[in-house]
Amino acid sequence: MRILGLALAWGLAVFACVFLLAPLVVIAAASFSPTAVFDLPTTGASLRWYQRIGTLEGFWPALALSLQVALLSTVVSLVIGTAAAIAIVRGKLPGAEAFAAALVSPLMLPGLVLGIALLQYFRGLGFSNPWGSLALAHLVITLPYVARTMLAGLTRFDFTLIEASLTLGCTYPQSITRVMMPALAPSFLVAGLFSFLASFDNYPVSIFLTDVRTKTLPIKMLQYIEEAPDPTLAALSALILLGTIVLLILADRAVGLSRMAGTAE
Amino acid sequence: MTMDAAAHLAVRGVSKRFGATTVLADIDLAMPKGELLTLLGPSGCGKTTLLRLVAGLAEPDTGTIILGGRDITRTPPYRRNVGVVFQSYALFPHLDVAGNVAFGLKLRKRPKAEIDATVGRVLALVHLDHLASRPIRALSGGQQQRVALARALAVEPSVILFDEALSALDRKLREAMQGELRQLLTEIGATAIFVTHDQEEALTMSDRIAVMHRGRIDQLADPRTLYEKPATAFALSFVGQSVRLAGRVTESVGGVSRIETPAGPVLAPKTFSPGYDVIVATRPEHVRLGPGDNTLTGTVTGVVFQGARSTVEIAAGGLKLSAELSGRETPPQPGAAITFGWPLAETLIYPAEGVA
Amino acid sequence: MIAAARLLPDRARRTALLLSAPGLLVLVGLFILPLSLLLGVSVQGEGGFSLAAYQKLFGTPHYRHVIWNSLWLAAVVTLLCFLIGYPASFAIARARGGWRSLMLACLFLPLSASVIVKAFAWTILLRSSGIINQTLLFIGIIDTPVRMIFTETALVIGAVNIFLPFMVLPVFSVVAQLDGRLGEAAATLGANPLETFLKVTLPVTMPGIIAGVALVFALAVSAYVVPTLLIGERFPTLATTIAKSYLLTREEAFGAACGVALLAIAIAVVVISARLTREERA
Repeated sequence: MRILGLALAWGLAVFACVFLLAPLVVIAAASFSPTAVFDLPTTGASLRWYQRIGTLEGFWPALALSLQVALLSTVVSLVIGTAAAIAIVRGKLPGAEAFAAALVSPLMLPGLVLGIALLQYFRGLGFSNPWGSLALAHLVITLPYVARTMLAGLTRFDFTLIEASLTLGCTYPQSITRVMMPALAPSFLVAGLFSFLASFDNYPVSIFLTDVRTKTLPIKMLQYIEEAPDPTLAALSALILLGTIVLLILADRAVGLSRMAGTAE
Repeated sequence: MTMDAAAHLAVRGVSKRFGATTVLADIDLAMPKGELLTLLGPSGCGKTTLLRLVAGLAEPDTGTIILGGRDITRTPPYRRNVGVVFQSYALFPHLDVAGNVAFGLKLRKRPKAEIDATVGRVLALVHLDHLASRPIRALSGGQQQRVALARALAVEPSVILFDEALSALDRKLREAMQGELRQLLTEIGATAIFVTHDQEEALTMSDRIAVMHRGRIDQLADPRTLYEKPATAFALSFVGQSVRLAGRVTESVGGVSRIETPAGPVLAPKTFSPGYDVIVATRPEHVRLGPGDNTLTGTVTGVVFQGARSTVEIAAGGLKLSAELSGRETPPQPGAAITFGWPLAETLIYPAEGVA
Repeated sequence: MIAAARLLPDRARRTALLLSAPGLLVLVGLFILPLSLLLGVSVQGEGGFSLAAYQKLFGTPHYRHVIWNSLWLAAVVTLLCFLIGYPASFAIARARGGWRSLMLACLFLPLSASVIVKAFAWTILLRSSGIINQTLLFIGIIDTPVRMIFTETALVIGAVNIFLPFMVLPVFSVVAQLDGRLGEAAATLGANPLETFLKVTLPVTMPGIIAGVALVFALAVSAYVVPTLLIGERFPTLATTIAKSYLLTREEAFGAACGVALLAIAIAVVVISARLTREERA
């Protein structure tokens, strides 16, 4: 019975790994397709779809917009979220627990609903700049990731380190830049990674805040897929995947996946 | 206070309140250069707060703190030149051993060569020179303790403060560290304050001990005086073992009081007005079998042989007392009725009120 | 001086308020206020207050079916994720060294990968000329390609694929801390493996299960990209209806009502899971 249970667990774990990786492997393989119909490169690999990524209509502006919004919202969220997490962890804040729960709550609530709510809200305020709307909306998308990771990181942070640095000659700002930030670097990295990815990949919120000329990369990609899917999209997907892998490897080097698994969810 | 004028570190009339709680009440303390002083007391007595005030991690409500002739009462910690070894060590996890030790020197913008030399010298002092490039998390507790010490020493602070710095080590390591630390600090002529609730550590490490109780210094004395002449009943109970009897003064003649206790009448060498409730005490090693200036009778309830000495547990007048015999004396059998006594000169007496 | 002493706790509180102010501003100004406004929009008819949108949503058989679709999808996906993910978490937690890292990488990479990329990959995998059909044809299980894309099966496969890591990670983080001796202790007390599982393992891992189930259900009930790409118009959900109301038909009050309904489901999941977790702890 025990053996049976173990065999079941291992079998399902292996199945889960294969199942989870399958789409990623397929997309990477299809990107080298020699023909235009997503054949696997069994007869010969081709790089021509990669060369055609840049020629996709509206690709470069969409990529630029997505990168700008993701970077800006991640950086601002890191500052805001860390400050809020410090206030919560250091106590002295009335209603700290409720505030912490509220900061993390957008994670569990439907993005699509946030999207239409912000659409109505910005319209009501007469705010119609799509770039600004996107940047503000993505703040709400990224903040929960930062808040969650930094709350976990700061709970483990020994604030005596700050006092130690003060007695060794750090001014208050120096104790932040020379001790607190480097000591929390792993948390910052994980928080930044997940909030960047969340923003870069977001579709349900962005779709309501863009106009014809201002579209993020996920919106463009869904449009390409619905209009005329060809291996160029597989090539683009494979590149995005490659970027994700690089970021994950960096995070693993700095933090370790095991610890990330404990803090990420 | 003539001593105060020459003091390296002086605390004058310092008080501190947190909300409605008085944590420190009118503290005065003066230390000459090179002294090793311990603030000894139970948790909540204010010893850590006093240390934090000296370090600049908190500000007193009243009073002044003077270090090396300079008023540092409102000086921020980073301009005090005070070294602190924290209970949790507070080593920087993102730096290696040498990086931690060099931290304060880099902030002082010392030349690179000088920093390297100092780090090497200080690490050698704590016997860690071979671990300079280790990350902190790869060190044992004892090694981390040494790094914390080296980091504090490296900046050549005017005073080094130890906040329960040895309490996280296991007993054996702690005892070894105590001796070594005392020798090292004496060698380099450091002025240091230890905060601890461990009386053995206090007796081992210090030139003088300040026994703190409820935000005040009950007694400030060298270890021997503290042990032999505790100034208050609290100091008596907190340092060393003691035989204690509660009683009431019946008469007081020629500097000697007679006290009625549940175990029988006892004499003590101090004048009190009759009717006064007091605590009479002595140290177990002064108690002898057979009559003395003060003589009581009781029943032996147990004998513990400890090699060089034996401890005899005695029940007398509903109280439990203990006496110490040297190992050569034959201890009585449990259950035996005995007479025991101690000299008048070794009898201590305190007012009963305010005893914890 | 004494006044300064009394001010000190206030100063600490002021600092805390100052630090939390920007976060609070974002939360209120960009989250709570917009969602409250949405509630207002949903009850706005042509002549002022109106519940017409809600009457349409709950009163029309078609839209009742839409709500049912959303809940059905979330329930099926959550159940499948649990059945695969719960036992798998134990294997990952038991794995050591390289194996564990490998399996965690197998979780984190898909988790971090773009949802659109993964959904797109499934459209390739599941199409008639796709790899699954080719494999099945090759083995000889089927003679003609099976239509898989744009079916409920495709939708569920794709959704389980995307949400599985959200089940495994919370369960794993609890299981990894599980003391193996707990089961041994139960065994020495005479519990057989099934009893050990039901009376020890299951209760101890319950916080992880609650977190995983709540997360997957909340995400799946509002999934938009997966249904759009893998089943399309044939399977309308609350999420796709919201998008349609706002992007195509311009029935904003109705879309808002759907949004409020979806929000209510998500909030219910959060509240119920929080309460269950609290009861678990007590």
